[in-house]
Amino acid sequence: MTTFVESTVRFPYKRSLGPVIGQFMTALTERRLLGIRAGDRVIAPPLEWDPETGEQLDPELIEVGPAGTVRSWTWVAEPSPQHPLDRPFAFALIELDGATTAMVHAVDVAEPGAMTTGMRVAPRWRAARVGHLTDIEAFVPGEEPVVPADDAGPAAEPVTMMGYEASIVYTTPLPGNQERAGKAAARGVLLGFRCPRCGRIYSGLSGSCPVDGLLLSPEDDVELPQVGVITNYTIITPVQYPGQTETEPFARVQVLLDGVDVVLAYQPVADLPNVDIHTGVRVAARWSEADGRKVLDGWAPTGEPDIDDPSLVNRIM
Amino acid sequence: MTTEPVAIVGWALTPMTRRTVNSEAELLFEVISGATEHAGITRADVDFSCAGSCDYVAGQAFSFVQNIDAVGAWPPKRDSHVEMDGAWALYEAWVRLQLGDIDVAIATGSGRSSTADPATVYPMEMDPYYLAPLGADVVSFAALQARILLDAGLVTERQMATVAARARGAAQGNPYAQVSGEFDVDALLEDDYVRNPLRRHDLPPITDGACAVVIARGDKARELTDHPVWITGFAHSAEPHHPGLRDLRVSASTTRAARAAGLDAAPVEVAELQTTFTHEEALLTTALGLGPEVAINPSGGPLAANPVMATGLTRVIEAARQVRDHGKQRVLAHATSGPCLQQNLVCVMEGTR
Ligand SMILES: [Zn+2]
Repeated sequence: MTTFVESTVRFPYKRSLGPVIGQFMTALTERRLLGIRAGDRVIAPPLEWDPETGEQLDPELIEVGPAGTVRSWTWVAEPSPQHPLDRPFAFALIELDGATTAMVHAVDVAEPGAMTTGMRVAPRWRAARVGHLTDIEAFVPGEEPVVPADDAGPAAEPVTMMGYEASIVYTTPLPGNQERAGKAAARGVLLGFRCPRCGRIYSGLSGSCPVDGLLLSPEDDVELPQVGVITNYTIITPVQYPGQTETEPFARVQVLLDGVDVVLAYQPVADLPNVDIHTGVRVAARWSEADGRKVLDGWAPTGEPDIDDPSLVNRIM
Repeated sequence: MTTEPVAIVGWALTPMTRRTVNSEAELLFEVISGATEHAGITRADVDFSCAGSCDYVAGQAFSFVQNIDAVGAWPPKRDSHVEMDGAWALYEAWVRLQLGDIDVAIATGSGRSSTADPATVYPMEMDPYYLAPLGADVVSFAALQARILLDAGLVTERQMATVAARARGAAQGNPYAQVSGEFDVDALLEDDYVRNPLRRHDLPPITDGACAVVIARGDKARELTDHPVWITGFAHSAEPHHPGLRDLRVSASTTRAARAAGLDAAPVEVAELQTTFTHEEALLTTALGLGPEVAINPSGGPLAANPVMATGLTRVIEAARQVRDHGKQRVLAHATSGPCLQQNLVCVMEGTR
């Protein structure tokens, strides 16, 4: 029976827009659409470089649209959370008037029978616009843009940045060795693996001998000692990004357990102030218990003399 | 184009499944062991490795680093990674062998699409300003191109269904395929649209899988096998990322890559094409100038199994198999990447006369 682990990875991107895309996004807040000349073509939305020649384009943008012609469309019967509308809608390639290329956007109609290639559409603007592609809520059939009665007006300043928030849910099978190591840790045991070919002992969760290119199996499980030495460390001064809960500088250390061939990477410390962390400190695992399960709090000094070995610092893997 | 002669001397695939319980590294252990064994070498004989995989598919930053364990790090090896299908990893390995100082390389492709909804993963690799914020997914892009082909009269929905039925019928002979069977075209055309004008059968399955290819240079290839499959042309070409900038009725980059790979020099008997969607077959065969005498995707192709990041490299394996196991003389493999066939790769292979 394989255990599956569900995790959600968020991608809260902030991006600078540069001179060309920034102008386009700023114009969206003014309910205007812009394109850029590239030879005989007018590219909308605008790009910084000519896609044919790679030449930088003159950032003198020209107004296009707001209405346009549908060059192709498809029907999204079951929208995902990342789609611009939460009800069925069409994605379309829309050639804005005055442009020679098409942009991808949503068209809000009730059913696919309302869509045809060649139909005319115009943007339905959001009331509060921030300089983002979704300032156009969707395109709608017809020639006339739709403006909400409570229109909030253009941005006060040129738009230079944009946010893009995505989130993906992963359901991942837990490899057998990780499951065994996790169960052992709940008993306060550090599980490792001995390669049957070269005899190296691996800590951690890799489950293979990279030297021999060999998968390790439950017969290769060994219980590891819980005493070792700090080989290397880093003090992290947290910057605030989404999901960051630390506020004070904190340490992470590499621990080489006695008789083991690879380090335990990125470990927390216990009873060891940041200023006292250095290569060579002898440490032991410090466990606590919660809900009947052991939890590794971190690595605490044993009080033994330091190991004096200049090559230790290179043991980062 | 004068190049060092390089031949495919071994390969391996995992079974292609809807959901594997193995990690990506475990899939790679399997195919690297299999491909080196097929080539009659050990991991120690490999001088260079290049992997194709994708962090967003894996759901983990630097996911390719742990996959390197599967290559075997001793003696130390030159290694590289492409955030692309393994077909591009093979291209890089082939370029590396052109330097002439090493003899054997391995390329891999691996992906577990089952771990997340591909419709939420795909936008992460799109233009972050104009495409990703719309959640522009791969099936929607494909549908936009399919309608352009339909509107232009370059394909019909019946032809598309026929492609699906033929592919999945052919896949009955392929032990690695995920979806196979006999399908009735009229019945397929009764189905609802998933993304109008695409129905379920126009789409590939969601697939987990990996594959690996061993290539060797000149005399080393001849030493390893009596049946080297020589790579006689290899090229790829890209077009603008935005589908709205391109003429989607044609695949200009496929034609350019085929010309650069010398496809026109002689006829090919078999073409393994990365036709992830049914309408792409008509487009690609036209772009490649393939007539009805050329067998298209006898393996079933991506409509029978679509291990993202390994689908293109699988085409190379299946085309090479036609030479090594079925006595074909000249074949081609095609791989693609990006929305609406943005970037295309063509690999021409020949047996030893
Ligand atoms: Zn070993």
